[in-house]
Amino acid sequence: MRIFFRYAFRETATNLWRNILMTLAAVLTVAVSLSLVGAALMVKQTASQVSTIWQQQTRVTVWLNHDATKGEISSVRAQLAALPYVHGTCSYQTKRESYNQARLQLTPNLFAHLNVHGMVTAFICEPQIPTDTAIIRSTFINQPGIYDVTAPDKQIKAMEYVISIAQIVLAILAAVLFISAVVLILNTIRLAIFARRREVTVMKLVGATNWFIRIPYIAEGFIQGLLGALIAVGLLTALYALIPFSRQYHLSSQDLLGTNIVVLILGAAIGSLGSIFAIRRFLDV
Amino acid sequence: MIRFENVSKTYKNGTTALKDFSINIEKGEFVFLVGSSGSGKTTFLRLLLREEAPNAGRILEAGRDIGALPKWRVPYLRRNIGCIFQDFRLLPNKTVFENVAFALEVIGRPNSTVETQVPQILELVGLSDKARNLPGELSGGEQQRVAVARAFVNRPLILLADEPTGNLDPTNSEIIMGLLDRINRTGTTVVMATHDKALVDRMRRRVIELDRGELVRDQARGVYGIDESGSA
Repeated sequence: MRIFFRYAFRETATNLWRNILMTLAAVLTVAVSLSLVGAALMVKQTASQVSTIWQQQTRVTVWLNHDATKGEISSVRAQLAALPYVHGTCSYQTKRESYNQARLQLTPNLFAHLNVHGMVTAFICEPQIPTDTAIIRSTFINQPGIYDVTAPDKQIKAMEYVISIAQIVLAILAAVLFISAVVLILNTIRLAIFARRREVTVMKLVGATNWFIRIPYIAEGFIQGLLGALIAVGLLTALYALIPFSRQYHLSSQDLLGTNIVVLILGAAIGSLGSIFAIRRFLDV
Repeated sequence: MIRFENVSKTYKNGTTALKDFSINIEKGEFVFLVGSSGSGKTTFLRLLLREEAPNAGRILEAGRDIGALPKWRVPYLRRNIGCIFQDFRLLPNKTVFENVAFALEVIGRPNSTVETQVPQILELVGLSDKARNLPGELSGGEQQRVAVARAFVNRPLILLADEPTGNLDPTNSEIIMGLLDRINRTGTTVVMATHDKALVDRMRRRVIELDRGELVRDQARGVYGIDESGSA
């Protein structure tokens, strides 16, 4: 066994060194491909974190007409307090507060047309769960004195859509690069096998076992895949450390660790796949 | 040691290489295999090495049916069979020593075995002083002696030689023949396919002649050809 490992180690090292340019190309392709895979994973994790936060911060605003009567206002207030879909009590936004808010949000030209008495008032409520916004809206939208019921769920949906598109694009890119990485490793191993075809002939002749012949080539592909994955892990870790954005969105170091483990496993898989294909196709044992 | 029982081999392209061929070779025998090109000599050797499997019949080596051998056992079968060829098949970037040592290393023999066996076998073939040379620096006869050393270093039970003197001048042919004879005297069964009439006629060993896949002559202490029509 010891002899076998020494032999396999020596052969693998020689093969890698002899084919250094192809090895480099294969390793770098694996690195780029897996960096993209890792980035896609981290974007996915970030996106799910972010959308959870957004949804937790969702507020339903029940706007009342500027001429709503006191009776209408107190009726709405009472109904909101009784509604099980509302978390806690709703805050009331007075005409003055709406006016001040409009000052912040509108251009001075537009704001000049407003006066405090023409402003609407509103109840701002936190839904029990984010999807309750729809129920709250349908309860109040047709009641007297109600101007409108709004929630930012459309905007959240739009953001989630954009993020999912970005994820799909990253995943497709990663898949294409994944395949080219496998093919490149296959080609490297094929060259290594071709360079050593005389040795392989002699080995078969004198009775070397099939695994004795195969293992160095599989090890070569495996190492190439793993090296590429290690580079990708370095890149992802650097990205995580350098961009504060990732911490801002609560991407924990555990998420990073998980991503890195997936990347390492994929790297080993790419390398082994490439060399196994090459052996099946080009190594006649 | 080697026993063919009604063996037939037809290749996928339809060529029949051996037809209902039966033979029995005892342990320690020296056998010349003669016949024109395409008569089935090489197929006979390839079947012995299990590089091919027969379509019909049984092949027994050392009492084992090698047709029934699972694929993963084939390497172990080959460890008992040494092989030399007309084109030597040495590794050009390894020294003489390394070429012979390679045969031991790849079957997992420890360093200590390599260090004792290789010098011994190089001594036997008379190439001790060329151990550090590359095959390219050697004459054809010397290269074939390296090949013999490699084939025999593992002390196989059977030695197969496929026209081992085909590329050599008469003097070097004699040297190789002498080596094979010495190896045979150690009890190793030797099967040698050849076109070398002079060698066969002088050695007077068992001669098996094939013609288009059929056994046409099996003669103890035979000669290359009884009539000249069969000779190449």
